[in-house]
Amino acid sequence: MKNSENNFKELRQLLKLKQHEIPPPGYFNHFSDQVISRLQSGEGHGAQSLTDRLNVQAPWLASLLRVFETQPGVIGGFATSLVVLLVIGVIISERPDSMPNNILTATANSQPAPSLASVTNPDLGGAAQASGIVASTNPVTSLQPVATLFGQPGGSSTLFQAASFSPAGN
Amino acid sequence: MIMSEPIPSIDPNKPAGMLEGDLVKLARRGDFSAYDELVKRYQQRIYATIYHMTSNHEDANDLAQDSFIKAFQALPSFKGGSTFYTWLYRIAVNKTINFLKQRKNRQHISLNDLDFNAEHDPDLMALISDKTPVREVGLTELQQKLNAALLKLSEPHRMVVVLHDVQGVSHEEIAEMMNCNIGTVRSRLFYARQQLQGFLAEYINPA
Repeated sequence: MKNSENNFKELRQLLKLKQHEIPPPGYFNHFSDQVISRLQSGEGHGAQSLTDRLNVQAPWLASLLRVFETQPGVIGGFATSLVVLLVIGVIISERPDSMPNNILTATANSQPAPSLASVTNPDLGGAAQASGIVASTNPVTSLQPVATLFGQPGGSSTLFQAASFSPAGN
Repeated sequence: MIMSEPIPSIDPNKPAGMLEGDLVKLARRGDFSAYDELVKRYQQRIYATIYHMTSNHEDANDLAQDSFIKAFQALPSFKGGSTFYTWLYRIAVNKTINFLKQRKNRQHISLNDLDFNAEHDPDLMALISDKTPVREVGLTELQQKLNAALLKLSEPHRMVVVLHDVQGVSHEEIAEMMNCNIGTVRSRLFYARQQLQGFLAEYINPA
């Protein structure tokens, strides 16, 4: 450090010249009056701009904004990273919908398919277990075709119900 | 016989005799006479810092006044975590750097005159007479070259040199004023001096 100071000894001597630069005579006699008169005229009560408030309250944020202001490349990079983050966020947010499906598909392939009634009706839980069906409290819809929802477990016959229609007024 | 001037008595009830903290409290309540005293205490240092950064008296005048006005407006948010002086400096530093970035391509130098003592400063005399006998450079020319060289530095580097080498502010205080760490201040100072030494090589002989 000392060595560094010695290296710049002459430069520092030269910089002393700046200390001899003085404003016009009497300049400071009225400086504070000008400031106070500006304040009394209402400038002191004016609302602070956002930048000024940031400079005082969050100088780090103000410096960040200054970097953005002076280096458009930085703000471009920042915006790009925000967009990438947004895209990643969208992709991740869609994943939970597909994951249970995969799990359910795997379950459906490995075990007998439970009917919707057997899954949701607690009274039928014991019977379902007895017949090898795993009961679950997870309110998911079965991936089985709709036709099997009303079929008997293990049954192969299809139920038909006669329907009759009579035109109105008859 | 030596005639000594009477020592002015300090009245602690008048703004001039008050401590900085008390003046800040009063100014925060809207007491203009207290704030007037604070302005008087720091006007020269704030003006000088801005002037050395801008090399322009008119700009320095406007920015110094604006800094004091902004400080008054921001007084309610002054928590007292640092001294009023450091906090005020921070406002002035930010304001000046913002200003300089905006006017980057239209620098206009308007230098103040040198005081009488410059011609009797032994360090300066040594620079312009002993080691540079062939250049016959005068103080005014040296002043112009020095200011032009300073303006070639980036604002943060110039600010560190001005605060430390011209105004004698410590590294720690500069770090607080510029919201950076001391290591950054030291490295900026070293780099800025190196740059200046290169720009002013004609006028100084590095050891």
